[in-house]
Amino acid sequence: MNYQLLAENIIKKALKSGADEAEVYLVADRDFELDVRNGNVETIKQATSKGLGLTVFKDKKLGFSYTSDFSDESLQEFIKKTIQLSLVADPKPWNGLPDFKKGKLQDLDLYDPSISEIPSEKKIEIAKEVERIALAYDKRITKSEGGFFGDSERETIIVNSKGISYSSKRTGVSFVAGVVAGEGSEMQSGWWGSSKRHFKDLDTIENVANKAGKRAVEKLGAKPVETQKVPVVFDRYATPAFWYGILFAMDGDSVYKKTTFLTEYLDKSIASELITLVDDPTILRHVSSVSFDGEGNITRKNVLIDKGILKMFIYDTITARKAGVKVNTMARRYGYRSPASAGFLNVILENSIVPREKIISEIKNGYYVTGLRGIGTDIPTGNYSCGSSGFWIKDGEITFPVDGVTLGGNALDMMKNIEVVANDLDLRGSLNSPSFKIAELAIGGKK
Amino acid sequence: MKNYFKPITRRKFLKSGIAGGVIVATYPVWKLFSFSAPPSDFYVNPVCNLSKETLEKLIKIALQKGGEFAEVYVEYNVGNQIYLEENKIYGAGRGVDMGVGIRVLQGEKTGYAYSDDLSFEKMKKAAEVAGHIAAEKEVKAPVGLKSSQIPSYYLVKVSPDSIIPQDKAKLLWKANSAGREYHKSINQVNIGFSDTNKKIIIANSEGTWVEDVQTISRLLVSINAMEGDKRSRGYAYKDGTLGYEHYDLKVAEELAREAGRMALAMLPAEDAPAGEYPIIMAKGHCGTFFHEAIGHSLESDGIRKKTSCFWDKKEKAIASEISSLADDGKVPGARGTINVDDEGTPGQKTILIDKGKCVNFLYDKLNAKLMKANLTGNGRRESYQHYPIPRMTNTFLMAGEDDPADILKSIQRGIYIARIGGGNVTWVTGRFVFSVPEGYLIEDGKITKPLKGIQLMGSGPEVLKNIVMVGPDLEIWGGGTCGKSGQGKPVSDGNPTLKVSKITIGGAKV
Repeated sequence: MNYQLLAENIIKKALKSGADEAEVYLVADRDFELDVRNGNVETIKQATSKGLGLTVFKDKKLGFSYTSDFSDESLQEFIKKTIQLSLVADPKPWNGLPDFKKGKLQDLDLYDPSISEIPSEKKIEIAKEVERIALAYDKRITKSEGGFFGDSERETIIVNSKGISYSSKRTGVSFVAGVVAGEGSEMQSGWWGSSKRHFKDLDTIENVANKAGKRAVEKLGAKPVETQKVPVVFDRYATPAFWYGILFAMDGDSVYKKTTFLTEYLDKSIASELITLVDDPTILRHVSSVSFDGEGNITRKNVLIDKGILKMFIYDTITARKAGVKVNTMARRYGYRSPASAGFLNVILENSIVPREKIISEIKNGYYVTGLRGIGTDIPTGNYSCGSSGFWIKDGEITFPVDGVTLGGNALDMMKNIEVVANDLDLRGSLNSPSFKIAELAIGGKK
Repeated sequence: MKNYFKPITRRKFLKSGIAGGVIVATYPVWKLFSFSAPPSDFYVNPVCNLSKETLEKLIKIALQKGGEFAEVYVEYNVGNQIYLEENKIYGAGRGVDMGVGIRVLQGEKTGYAYSDDLSFEKMKKAAEVAGHIAAEKEVKAPVGLKSSQIPSYYLVKVSPDSIIPQDKAKLLWKANSAGREYHKSINQVNIGFSDTNKKIIIANSEGTWVEDVQTISRLLVSINAMEGDKRSRGYAYKDGTLGYEHYDLKVAEELAREAGRMALAMLPAEDAPAGEYPIIMAKGHCGTFFHEAIGHSLESDGIRKKTSCFWDKKEKAIASEISSLADDGKVPGARGTINVDDEGTPGQKTILIDKGKCVNFLYDKLNAKLMKANLTGNGRRESYQHYPIPRMTNTFLMAGEDDPADILKSIQRGIYIARIGGGNVTWVTGRFVFSVPEGYLIEDGKITKPLKGIQLMGSGPEVLKNIVMVGPDLEIWGGGTCGKSGQGKPVSDGNPTLKVSKITIGGAKV
């Protein structure tokens, strides 16, 4: 079935049935997943699925429905019901499709045709091998949480009554190892994986396996430390949870409603001058890249924080119109089961030139955080309080593993007190940041 | 659980790589349009009523290459939502999901395939794909299907799906005005009503053939208050396997007042002190702790794989003698209640910890078979797109004998947890962190100042040993959607008033 054509037909029918404006967001997936444990295949799962979400505006009122049933008669009924649903909503002057010009989509090289041709035997071999090497990493590794392999293809289509009709195909391929080190109350788990759009871009099996093993073993014997104030280094792989809270607080609609601590900070300093944070979903072959956003705007790079100055909040069309600001093409979809909403796509904190090792080597007594439990930031107040694990730094050296320690402070103070940013940026997902050091932070542990 | 942010897990990483590289857990959808499931035409939908012959045929096809067990799971799920913010009905939404999932088991192996198309050709293809896992084994003939009747623990007289959105909107308007009238500091009132209505059919090669209709409804009020530079939030909700007859204007008004009370109470809150303190958990509102920090470690998959901190603790003391923990799928009208689990096993009550001793785990079919244990009715799945895994239903600490007033009096200086919020637990170690959206200081046996930024930290096994007083006032209340292995599932939990002798509090004040 040509889904783009189907989506275009639904728009035509929706207008004919009385909608003023309409948008279809359609997703079709092919998925394969494989689990291996202790050298044996445990699960194989494969399927194809599809679904579409229909957003309609009638007299400036919003209606939304989704369905996975694409038969003619049920779609006709589905369209009618969606328009009926809009009648219960209140009209809002800002409701409606985005005002935008049709443009040319960039080819971001997100599709690897070779992925559908990988034989099952090879997938099984990769999952078994990554598990085997991870288990052999150290004799203190006692148990396996398994080796995994998955691949997928997704076609995403957006069509609206203003003439937008885009389709994009992406592939994804991943493999992961998870192991447990130690015994009883002394167990620690570690996992690592590689996830890419193209098979060729995947990390080596050895690197992934060894990293999983290392991450389990290095945490053995972790203990809390005394309550105190010390310099704290956030590891690059722990930082996404921190930035997530900050980005949540940058939601344009929360600013409009004055429910975020960043409400009054546009064009003001919120972080150290070392901090430049961008949203850039246009990086070639990157897992979080997309050529159009959740409302069909062609994506671009947006600077959110420029040398410490907050430059923009995050809006979709409706929240931007309501607030009377420019749309910044950051509308997101969480599949076809919900309408577009504002959200970041691929956030990157700019890299610096200082090696992380150098930052650590200059600390006399401090804490190197490698794991955060939760986002920590309370959005209304900016209070920061978060559970963490990591390593203790003594005279420039990493000494012992630490767990069960809270970090406490205020998100604004923390960002302003970022003293050094490292050069170790690794693009892995939708939130990417190099390691950084905060001059001083309260940590809570033993009395 | 409860849409709270969690660091990405291995499984999620794999899933996200597949879906398009969201390495951090999904951004909370700010509008309540996050359907997880579920129509009026629903009960009579012809596609969803597969005949006995069709089900038997599919089971036979799934087993044609061998395999010990085959199962067909059919689902038709309709969800409705309506949402009010800024004095306006934001919108109403509706969604339909349907599909079939087919599973074949052989030894420790699972083959799984699904289709969102219920044409026989597509279902046959799924049965064949799932059957590929098994090979060169003797073909075992499936047992003929026998329909079974099950008692119902849902409190549903009026299906919320039969109520037009205009009527649901009346509840929202009532809560909106009651919330705004509550206090002049209240600047935002958001209200949502949502319901999911799911019909499932389960048939397997052991002859099980059962159908169930699972309805879950929720009315939620969220209120923000602001005074000078102080901000706070309060919330309240009613939810469960409840019909629409449980909601009226009075309920809406009470929820709005409760949310307003909480927002106002927390407005003047001071920074919580960091350090080690005794705590009290208020009845009914802290069950999430037992679900997250203890319950998950008692699910049989982690026990079998020896990755749970309790894997070798059967028949051993793991908690203080006054602590008993249960999971009960039969609590009438609770959010986690099930007449049958998603493998067709009737819902039941399972004592997990009896007076401090670990006595049982939570099982699905696969793990029960491999561990030679009895089924407990805990094989659950998010949808036809997922195979079942051991999951909790309604999980709670059981009632004790200490007078709640004495419990409070016993603390010189400590923390009162009125409500526990989102949590984050590493199941291998049992280490947790929970936020506390409503908490107070206890001084000389009395609740005094409100506190913000409280984080509870520690390990589940440690806390179990430090439960020193338990009240008789068990309440099972609320709940949320628990996430495990990339599958969301509705659950509820509960607790009586209880005291933990010491726990680490993370707070801004050092």
